Amino acid sequence: MLKPDELILEDGALQHRSIFWDEAIYEQELKHIFARAWLFLTHESLIPNPGDYNTTRMGEDNVIVIRQDDGSIRAFINSCRHRGNTVCHADAGNTQRFTCTYHGWAYDRTGALVGVPLEKESWFGTLDKARWGLRPVAQVASYKGLVFGTFDAGAPPLEDYLGDMRWYVDSFLDVPGGIELIGPPMKSILNCNWKTPTENFGGDDYHFGWTHAAGVAVIGGPLQGLSGNVPLPPEVGFQVGSKYGHCFGFIEQAAAGLQMLDEWRTEYARWLAARTPVMQERVGALRARLYNGHWNASFFPNCSFLYGTSTFKVWQPRGPRQLEVYTWTLVEKEMPQELKDILHRSNIAAFGTAGMLESDDGENFEECTQTNRGYMTRQDYYYTGMGVGHEGPRPDMPGVVSEVLMAETGIRNFYRSWARMMRGTPWQDVDVAATAPLARLRSV
Amino acid sequence: MSSANAQQQNPRAGEPVDRDTHFAVERFLIREARLLDQERLHEWLAMLTPDIRYRLPVQEVRYRKDQKPIGSATGTNIYDDDYRLLEMRVKRMDTGLVWFEDPKSVARRLITNIDAEWSARADEVDVYSTFLVYRNRRQRDEAWLVGCREDRLRLTDAGWKLADRTILLDQRVVLDKNLHVFI
Repeated sequence: MLKPDELILEDGALQHRSIFWDEAIYEQELKHIFARAWLFLTHESLIPNPGDYNTTRMGEDNVIVIRQDDGSIRAFINSCRHRGNTVCHADAGNTQRFTCTYHGWAYDRTGALVGVPLEKESWFGTLDKARWGLRPVAQVASYKGLVFGTFDAGAPPLEDYLGDMRWYVDSFLDVPGGIELIGPPMKSILNCNWKTPTENFGGDDYHFGWTHAAGVAVIGGPLQGLSGNVPLPPEVGFQVGSKYGHCFGFIEQAAAGLQMLDEWRTEYARWLAARTPVMQERVGALRARLYNGHWNASFFPNCSFLYGTSTFKVWQPRGPRQLEVYTWTLVEKEMPQELKDILHRSNIAAFGTAGMLESDDGENFEECTQTNRGYMTRQDYYYTGMGVGHEGPRPDMPGVVSEVLMAETGIRNFYRSWARMMRGTPWQDVDVAATAPLARLRSV
Repeated sequence: MSSANAQQQNPRAGEPVDRDTHFAVERFLIREARLLDQERLHEWLAMLTPDIRYRLPVQEVRYRKDQKPIGSATGTNIYDDDYRLLEMRVKRMDTGLVWFEDPKSVARRLITNIDAEWSARADEVDVYSTFLVYRNRRQRDEAWLVGCREDRLRLTDAGWKLADRTILLDQRVVLDKNLHVFI
């Protein structure tokens, strides 16, 4: 096994193939990334009332996310403290308590152990119930409705962790009334490493016209011309890498471009046009432009979304060679129900489990992992050097920004952060500007 | 059958159909499965009514006493297609640019447990069936899909057509990379 410093080279452009295959490296990812980073849990709109809960995963850990009586949100490891059985078997619901099906230990909404059968008769009143509540997720916080959690009590606050990315995502999170996610999520599997779709959604516009050539050709609309990887003028968009590894790509004026039907594009475009003056006031002219663009984006490490296409996903790792993907629809809360229904249906038809674009990606993602079954095949690096030297800081936007749309800027940024985290780097040293080269940390 | 008569309330609604009708709808489903297996997608489109709804709802895992959706979880359909979207899926295949279907994949549909009842409309029947779909791609990529379907078939001047389909797939987590297959 290579040392961490040998896995990612050339400031993120070279990734050793073993990081998509190796069990030992995956265990290190669970320890250094999934047990430390802020991970997406749910959206506040999915659990609005006291006792509403979702179950989900943080890395390989099953967790319950539940709305408290005081309106706050907590999360717990979904495993009984007595003998380890799962205490909640549902996707979602509303409850006063979670009762283990093994011996009947019961936990309330705060995670406190409140019921133990035969507590007097056989525990002789000695059980310290306060010690045996469900194990809490160390920090749970909401950023404008998006709820994240981290197992690391020493992790920086969520707002710091989202960092520069906040400046960008505020251009749609700050709509009047905010956003919501429509569920329940679709769930399916991909026999690929979790990093592959995350980097794809976060930083790969390069694949769009080619992988999705068929879908893009039949959907029509303004993005139809991208079918087949045609060269584009530079002003059409750009890629961004922000600190802690978040990344995204942006296409001008294309928010409604991937709505599946002409009339759906028209409806959504009408809404955006009506909202734009409000957004110019709220977030300024530049970010009102972002509000009208299409984005592919990923929050480090495993949460992705397509703003405009309205898809929102989490890639839940299940070993180094498989993941479960959960997919919701992202809409503005104040949209009329008919428009929400349109965005929901269109997202599903494009990027749902049977989606016309989603299905194009799966085969590619899986093969990118599975070819590494070959011992000699995996003695090698992948290369994402597209656009090196044609990116950098810009005065008007944070992070590292590419000169053109088709650039692997965000992908390199993602792997720079991955490498820093995998070294077990203390948080203050992970917190570097997105443009900082990897070597600077190597000396730490 | 004139449309005025056809849309009258059927006094036999909910009763099993007669033998000839049962034979006709069973042949319809089996022929449909064969056309899909053979990727004769335009002929399949011709078996649908223009107002078809084709759905595959997500079935959340919930406790029996707790069936009410919460929050904005109002429902998700993995397929929620009308004729336009189904036709778009077929046209997409026509482009020859769907790389992962070349070499082509295999889907084999086994349709069974067919039951049919008269529907509310005199020209429609409700048809229930179960399916097993075997998918195989490339060398050894495979998936098994099991579930049931609730269909509404309509007798038109051009024979029986599929007017509504709800597919219930017996998997919460779809154990495949996609559901790029008509069921």
